Amino acid sequence: MANKKMCLGLFTGSVDKLTAAGIILGGAAAMDMKVDIYVLLQGARAFKKDVGDNPDKLQMAENPDMKAEFLQSLKNLKVKTWVEFFKEAKEITDVKIHICGLAGKIWGGEKLDDFIGIADDICGIGAYITAAQEADVNLFI
Amino acid sequence: MTSEELKELKVTKTVDARGTACPGPLLEAKKAIGTIKPSDIMEVLSADEGTKVDIPKWCTKQGHEYLGTIEVSGYFRIFMKKH
Repeated sequence: MANKKMCLGLFTGSVDKLTAAGIILGGAAAMDMKVDIYVLLQGARAFKKDVGDNPDKLQMAENPDMKAEFLQSLKNLKVKTWVEFFKEAKEITDVKIHICGLAGKIWGGEKLDDFIGIADDICGIGAYITAAQEADVNLFI
Repeated sequence: MTSEELKELKVTKTVDARGTACPGPLLEAKKAIGTIKPSDIMEVLSADEGTKVDIPKWCTKQGHEYLGTIEVSGYFRIFMKKH
């Protein structure tokens, strides 16, 4: 049986939602799903090399005044960072991370090398729509 | 299987995922099952309440046989047979 496909539109650049995306990716990896992630506007900023796993540079989408408690709780529970989740999923299953070209430019990222190493390529919106049409599971975070 | 039957199983691989939070135990199980042979028995130790729901569903999806769970002091022993 062919592996099921997941398509994730990753708009968020917030540490809480990125963590949730990482956890979902872990589940998809365990199920051997083929995953395509399309990194859109705010997400592209989080994928910049000078942001990435640095929680000081990422906001919380919800309960922003509880960011410190949230991060401490993740640490206490030995929860991986969002980048570690994404890396682990890539090691286990076929995960491709595509950065929206326009989004990258908005944050000063012109080339793939401007983004953290887990990004696979820079693409346009047509690639996202095509993948979304072909996917068994579509998520937008 | 009953708890007594589960305790008597000859386990080929034990995965101790008690130090990890969701989805850690599931991913540890996924990695470990690739290292054993078909029909071998694997046991996952997890202190995460969600794992005892996740692993049976994962087994069904992946074609492995979920054998049962024993709850011990502070953690779960979850047994499966590789397809």
